[in-house]
Amino acid sequence: MPQDPYHILPIPALCRGEQALLSSWIEGTRPGSLRICAILIILGCGAYGFTIGYRNGWEMAAWVALKLPAIIFLTLFVNGLLNGMIGLILGSGIGFRQSLQFLLTGFAIMSVIVGALSPVTLFATLNMPAPGAENSLEWHALNLLLHTAIIAFAGTLAHWRLLQYVRAFANSRRTGTFTFCAWLAGNLFVGAQISWNLRPFFISPGLEVEFLRSDPFDGSFYEAVFHAFRKISPL
Amino acid sequence: MNEEPTDDTPPPPLPGQPKPSPGTPRDESAHNRSQAGFVEMEGDKTISNTINTLLRKPLSLVYTIEMEKRADGRKILLRLLCISITCLAIFGLVVGTFSWNHQLWAAPLKIVGGLLFSGLLCLPSLYIFACLGGLDARFRTIVGILCGLIALSGLLLVGFAPVVWLFSVSSTSVTFLGFLLLTLWIICASLGLALVFRAGRALGMTNTGHLVVWCGVFLLVTLQMSTTLRPILGSQQGEKLVDFGEKKFFLSYWGEQLRGEHRENLREKEQ
Repeated sequence: MPQDPYHILPIPALCRGEQALLSSWIEGTRPGSLRICAILIILGCGAYGFTIGYRNGWEMAAWVALKLPAIIFLTLFVNGLLNGMIGLILGSGIGFRQSLQFLLTGFAIMSVIVGALSPVTLFATLNMPAPGAENSLEWHALNLLLHTAIIAFAGTLAHWRLLQYVRAFANSRRTGTFTFCAWLAGNLFVGAQISWNLRPFFISPGLEVEFLRSDPFDGSFYEAVFHAFRKISPL
Repeated sequence: MNEEPTDDTPPPPLPGQPKPSPGTPRDESAHNRSQAGFVEMEGDKTISNTINTLLRKPLSLVYTIEMEKRADGRKILLRLLCISITCLAIFGLVVGTFSWNHQLWAAPLKIVGGLLFSGLLCLPSLYIFACLGGLDARFRTIVGILCGLIALSGLLLVGFAPVVWLFSVSSTSVTFLGFLLLTLWIICASLGLALVFRAGRALGMTNTGHLVVWCGVFLLVTLQMSTTLRPILGSQQGEKLVDFGEKKFFLSYWGEQLRGEHRENLREKEQ
């Protein structure tokens, strides 16, 4: 009996975008696909989150390692029903389980990318001065920019790959594209708020290291952006 | 009566070979791979032949690691590692002759250790980015490509060693020699990185854009490593081989060196 080429964690096949693997996952002929994606998200985002938080010590590293995968799972949990309904309403033919599989696959690809870059980001963190040192504001800004760029890069790559998959499996390219855009908008909207609730991920100079801020459910991400805009706006 | 053959007459088939039927399509993929040099390694699998192959037909080494028996592939990997360590150590020794004393052993140790560690840091991302581009190869082949990159860069650095020695005995400026070494490293690494692209295409990569990003990451890591392990040129400060206490970004460190040397030159002129 030939050995299953996708045994254990099918990282190479997932990154190459092998149709056989994805077909078996979407059509449900291969058991354990949701579990595999969840494991990849926990390992990849966990490793990367560790390197983000390590700048403020082991404690913060462990907390961010927990919170980063949690953002993904909580976003999909909150939006699960909506994502499934969108897939059906827009005529793509993608149901609830399939929409969850697609989104988990996309996030798994992103997690693999950031996980692969985590040795490099750990090296970068080790080369940054401690938070209380000279020029700490500048280093904090550089740290923020570095991780924003990496997450944006990984997210863009993963979602581009996800778009190709959805277009291939949907009833038509057009419905697949609309479904993908709707999922993206919904997940970004909810994901930003969940990130706000689960803050901090980066400790600004002068602030204490905490698992969650004392007021995690006070206000929203969008209100904070609006107030920040008002501060700099001449209006 | 037999006609005289002309230039347009096709050659007769070899004895025992079937006649080619007109319009038979060739295996384009195999043809392209052989054109690119992705063929079996010629000659004995010795260190000297490995060096020769690395310079002339580096893809043959990748072929051996990917296609041939595991034991043969492992031997090629070990030989590439030995070539890397030896070449980088020789280059490090030449760099150490600028300052002599401790730097005769510290500079080779830092260059060898720093570059191999940089490769190790970037190996997971090379594997993932290569897979994202469509590459279908074993993990040990990716390790082989990375070892080939470092070995080829090391060989080229050894080629530049006499140039470095000439400037190290002529100049007393740490800054000038430092920038010369960095420039040489970027040139040699770029030629080594071309091997990564060629190997990727030979192994089925359809999109090399991800590798471009990886090359940027690799270069940044090696440049930062040179600052993390300072000083590689110039005299050691105190007893420590490496001072991890004072952390600097490589651009700000280079800027400080430039400004520091400029101020010293101005002071000398005033005196």
